[in-house]
Amino acid sequence: MAMKAAVLRHIRLSAAPTRTLGLASPASCRWGGVLGSVFRSLSSHGDDHLSKDEVVDRVLSVVKSFPKVDPSSVTPDVHFQKDLGLDSLDNVEIVMALEEEFKLEIPDLEADKIDSTRLAIEYIYNHPMAG
Amino acid sequence: MSFTMRAAKVPPNSASLDEAKNRVFDLFRTACRSLPSVMEIYNLDDVVTISQLRSAISSEIRRNSHVTNPKVIDMLVFKGMEELGNITEHAKQRHHIIGQYVVGNHGLIQDSASKEKGMSDFLKNFYKSNYF
Repeated sequence: MAMKAAVLRHIRLSAAPTRTLGLASPASCRWGGVLGSVFRSLSSHGDDHLSKDEVVDRVLSVVKSFPKVDPSSVTPDVHFQKDLGLDSLDNVEIVMALEEEFKLEIPDLEADKIDSTRLAIEYIYNHPMAG
Repeated sequence: MSFTMRAAKVPPNSASLDEAKNRVFDLFRTACRSLPSVMEIYNLDDVVTISQLRSAISSEIRRNSHVTNPKVIDMLVFKGMEELGNITEHAKQRHHIIGQYVVGNHGLIQDSASKEKGMSDFLKNFYKSNYF
């Protein structure tokens, strides 16, 4: 999973120069061109992968809309139980809300580890199927 | 038939409170993941949202948060699974879901406070549940 995410991110970075062919260096341009043309034709994912800002915005809006949370205290680096005063059941509820928002199914072992907005953002940003 | 067979399967008791707790969370996750199909089966889109139902489920669980005996928790989880099975198998009707989870337990009782005024804490708890 981690490797898949790493590869996907690499592809997305190297494919970016195809849009600005004239400005990119010849090496990255060639790689970008090759990878871009190969992978874009094979995959329907990847192009529309979420940007970090979008993930942060949507995670924060999910957490803010949670009834027991004071929206003004939510930041990108807030711990659900220590900072927001939630209990473990609320934690699970927030993770389920994130699953619904990003159309994911987070395995139980991973879901147990997500206890702050920072970890949630990191996990969702690195998840190849988040949409 | 298929449902009765599945309901007959009872897992062994939880060894510790942590295990029982994890079972509760598993039940909660399963219930949350089946909410989209529940919305569809019972046509609830114009009455309630998925996040409201999710909060209703978690408040049902939280009603029993004082229970610390793993065996009792297992039993409650089993009852929860049974209820979830009934709901997803369409063994209920729309007004059951709306009455229990949308309007809520205290939806139609307006003045329970005035009745409970002269009651002792023991009696209130006695009416509420057995599990202490």
